[in-house]
Amino acid sequence: MPLQAFSTSQALTLGVELELQLVGTHDFDLAPQADDLLRVLRNHTGAWDVKPEITRSMIEIGTSIQRQHAVLLAELNDLRDQLARGARRLNIGIGGGGTHPFQHWSEQQIYPGERFHYISELYGYLAKQFTVFGQHVHVGCEDGDRALWLLHALSRYVPHFIALSASSPFVQGVDTGFDSARLNSVFAFPLSGRAPFCLGWDEFGAYFDKMASTGVVQSMKDFYWDIRPKPEYGTIELRVCDTPLTVAKAAALACYLQCICRYLREERPFEPAEDDYLVYTFNRFQACRFGLDGEIVDPKTKQRVKIRDDIVRTLARVDEHALDLQALEASNTIRDSLFDGNDASWLRAQRQPGTPLSAVVEAAVQRWAA
Amino acid sequence: MTTPNLLQTTLAGAASSPPLSPLWTLDGLRAADPVLGLALLLLVAVLIAEALHRAWRLPRACGHMLTGAIAGPVLLRLLDSADLDPWKPLIDLAIAALVFELGSRIRPRWLVDNPWLALGCVLQAVLCGSAVAVVLMGFGAPGLSAAVAGTVALATSPVIVLTVVHELRSRGQVTERLLMMTVINSVIAVLGLKVLRVLVASDAETLGAEWLQAVSDALWVTSGSFLLGVVAGFALDRLSPLVRATPAMPVLQIALVIVASMLATQWMLSPLLALLVAGMTARARMGHALTVEPHLGSAGAALNVLLFIAIGLLLGVDGALRLWPWALAIIAARLVATGLAVGALARVSGLGWRQATALSVALQPMSSLAVLLAADSFAWPVQWPGIDTNALQALLLAITLMQLSGPVWTQLALQRIAREVQPG
Repeated sequence: MPLQAFSTSQALTLGVELELQLVGTHDFDLAPQADDLLRVLRNHTGAWDVKPEITRSMIEIGTSIQRQHAVLLAELNDLRDQLARGARRLNIGIGGGGTHPFQHWSEQQIYPGERFHYISELYGYLAKQFTVFGQHVHVGCEDGDRALWLLHALSRYVPHFIALSASSPFVQGVDTGFDSARLNSVFAFPLSGRAPFCLGWDEFGAYFDKMASTGVVQSMKDFYWDIRPKPEYGTIELRVCDTPLTVAKAAALACYLQCICRYLREERPFEPAEDDYLVYTFNRFQACRFGLDGEIVDPKTKQRVKIRDDIVRTLARVDEHALDLQALEASNTIRDSLFDGNDASWLRAQRQPGTPLSAVVEAAVQRWAA
Repeated sequence: MTTPNLLQTTLAGAASSPPLSPLWTLDGLRAADPVLGLALLLLVAVLIAEALHRAWRLPRACGHMLTGAIAGPVLLRLLDSADLDPWKPLIDLAIAALVFELGSRIRPRWLVDNPWLALGCVLQAVLCGSAVAVVLMGFGAPGLSAAVAGTVALATSPVIVLTVVHELRSRGQVTERLLMMTVINSVIAVLGLKVLRVLVASDAETLGAEWLQAVSDALWVTSGSFLLGVVAGFALDRLSPLVRATPAMPVLQIALVIVASMLATQWMLSPLLALLVAGMTARARMGHALTVEPHLGSAGAALNVLLFIAIGLLLGVDGALRLWPWALAIIAARLVATGLAVGALARVSGLGWRQATALSVALQPMSSLAVLLAADSFAWPVQWPGIDTNALQALLLAITLMQLSGPVWTQLALQRIAREVQPG
């Protein structure tokens, strides 16, 4: 199947998808109750969408197409409230966080569905280990060429989003030392990583055809890249964020991305180049491992900076765009979180000596609902 | 305390009846000390249960009950029901441990969050009890006797349900509701029986005064058991920091469960209610600091096997040839009433049709526990003078059938219909 044409969408529009954990209220382990929640929410009022995900203890929610922070946040709040009502009826808890701290991957059940079973067959235990929870942000683009330019220009900022959203320090009952251990699960997939460096949609189409002819991929869905084009929506999709512990953070991250995109498009502070990717995996590792305290190398100047300092500078540069996009509140949320710490440090702080990790999950569930 | 009693009985038994025939013959086994006999049964039961489980995927509890039934008065007559009396404290403890665990497992707040579920629990109990009573009256049983039988029949067996949930490690909406509804209908059965006990003993002329006594009795049982449970829960909360993260934690739980259950029996309260409340209180006070192992640990698991052997030994089939239509009618009435109650509120309470079917089937195991825990000996039917023999025997026959096959229904419902069990 050839690559489909890139649909046109209004530039800088946003769509946010969040993968959420469903947990039991007696042990706070993952609960395979996606079907129940979907049934209860069938008649929800709202333009948003709720869908199953690969295992039965996950659901994915998606907002409608948004332009402004306040409206986006209002929709996410409504979504969270309706979900919480449904979950209460079913005696389950809903929470953010990139991983479930102590779930056992072997106990996860694949959600019945053709694509999920295909993935499960192909990737084996990796599919079950993929019980991780991310935030995906779509940004609208007018055409494929502009989408690819933006995609590669954004690569420099990927560590910002990893560090800001990181909320997965615990995996299988232990503190991994990483702020975002979730991305380690994603990297295990053969088609993860970054998109090939092509700046034209035709060139990208040729790459896709070559890959498709090898039989390795059938559609864009088979690529697990950090940022990937989504031609049917006319967007690029940033996929590196852990699901934050609050919808406020999720909305702020989406609008921070929107501001950076506007800054890049309008000011064109640099041109993306293949060599930008020389430091890409190093920077990404630093962000996953150390969060906001990580150090990244600027691909253009070759200087080392703390991620926290780089975000402070970026926020200053994009401020006027935030003003124009009515996203100042989002910038402020991001700025505050730089000094309060990310969700990974909040989760670590919840772990009191002598109490089990289920207490951490309960705290996260309460924070999500608050 | 229980242990000295047990020891004395054991020693007395060993001294007074030396085996006449060798132990490996049937007569030898019959003459053997009942405690030794039961211990041997424990061994056999585990092996039989495992064999049946491997061959036909039968729940292990079925194998344990079957062993008891084969050894019991009906077939091989290796042991008599009276032989079980020295073991009663231990068997009570096995039940009490399960009930405490059940209390710590459910979240009462759910009934507030989902009022349709709360209504469904009550509706199921009321419909089920009434249906059984009406059916028995149709067969000609007197009203009060039919009401007693209906009240016993409305309860789902907490012991069977929790044991099957443990074995299958099922997770999901049906499992959660099954546990919640079992708790509610067991409590309703216990309270209902307290009221009926007074009414059955009275005669028609003094019925007004008896009503008063029945209601005050029920109030005393409810409030007293509730208070005892709360105190036990608080005690566990206060004491557990002293032994936290040591192997003494389950021991502390077992000790408190024994104390609460003995006191409840002594004060004519309901051990079931008291231990449920103790479990809920402990969970509410301690939260994540409370870890309750299945059956309160491996000793509890052994007691659980013993419990199912005892259930098997106690199964009665008196009057089966004559009363089988009554028993079948009781079973059918329970199934239909449960199906109607669960089905009627399924959609509004957030349940799919397939799950409603599963839940109705899973609720079928019957219980004599509600009565067992309150009785002084296993000869509990004797304590109901004035009750119609036919109704009682039909009820016991229905209980026999729905206890023996109970684990199969619950397993079928959770595994095949609701699909809440992780395969493999």
